[in-house]
Amino acid sequence: MKMNKKGDKLISVYWFAILFIVAGGIVYMVSAFYGKPYDVREAEADILTTKIARCISEAGYLKEGVLTENFRENFAEICMINFQVEDVYGWRERGQYYVEVEFLDFDTKQKVFEISEGNEGLKPDCELEGETLPVCIERRFYSIDENGNQYQINMLSVVRKTEKNVQ
Amino acid sequence: MRSSGKNKLWNKRGNILTENIIFIILNLVFLSILIVFLFSKMGAAAVLEEMHAKQIALMISAAEPGMTIHLEMEKAVNIVKKEGRNLNDVIIIKDNVVTVQLREKGGASYSFFNDVNVSANFDTSTNKGYFFVVDENE
Repeated sequence: MKMNKKGDKLISVYWFAILFIVAGGIVYMVSAFYGKPYDVREAEADILTTKIARCISEAGYLKEGVLTENFRENFAEICMINFQVEDVYGWRERGQYYVEVEFLDFDTKQKVFEISEGNEGLKPDCELEGETLPVCIERRFYSIDENGNQYQINMLSVVRKTEKNVQ
Repeated sequence: MRSSGKNKLWNKRGNILTENIIFIILNLVFLSILIVFLFSKMGAAAVLEEMHAKQIALMISAAEPGMTIHLEMEKAVNIVKKEGRNLNDVIIIKDNVVTVQLREKGGASYSFFNDVNVSANFDTSTNKGYFFVVDENE
């Protein structure tokens, strides 16, 4: 009986030790999960890509005046894009977005027109891999103009905003 | 002799029961503290501020002029009410930046790229969220 009682006490000590270890693990995991910011950059880049695609093409046809110098110069205004960001971490000076649209001849794959907006310095980071690097999304689609010319449109959207999305 | 033997047995049973009850109570207290910690982390104001600022910024980025969007923010509204803050000062949208501030100190902001004019209004019909009116920028 004495042995049993000692054994019982020993079990309860171990039981509490296990409880503390499990609780410590849970506290650590929860803190790590909720301490990390939500990374929404991929969703943001996706929305940006969709918005620009809709601005350029509608129902498979290029919108009027897309392949003009005026469209290139006033791209942000026409597509209702404003890359102004919050004034933290020096974001305003560096720019946190970059968009590039290439129009290729569908048959020859030769570049016929190009539009870009934002911080071009973000583009080289797309070739690297890492969580703390900008998020890049590439999309391509097919479109034709009013004269029946066929184009392959390649789009690249880059969102940096690392400090608020990755810890 | 018989009666003292009975008393011993009674004492032993009493001890066993008390020990077990204390053990169970301690376990329950421990688990309760853990659950309270989990829920406090899940519903923390800072987490909600960040989540809603990003959620609203993405929502506006994807919106078209002329849209009215309703967003349910019941937990956030409850925190604001507890803090005694004005519900119309919780969401500030200025210069393409959404700022959500549920407490006096703190707040989270996130920018959107859609060049539109947005106003945030507390939904007084449900008292649970906000609606956002998206207009063209002048």
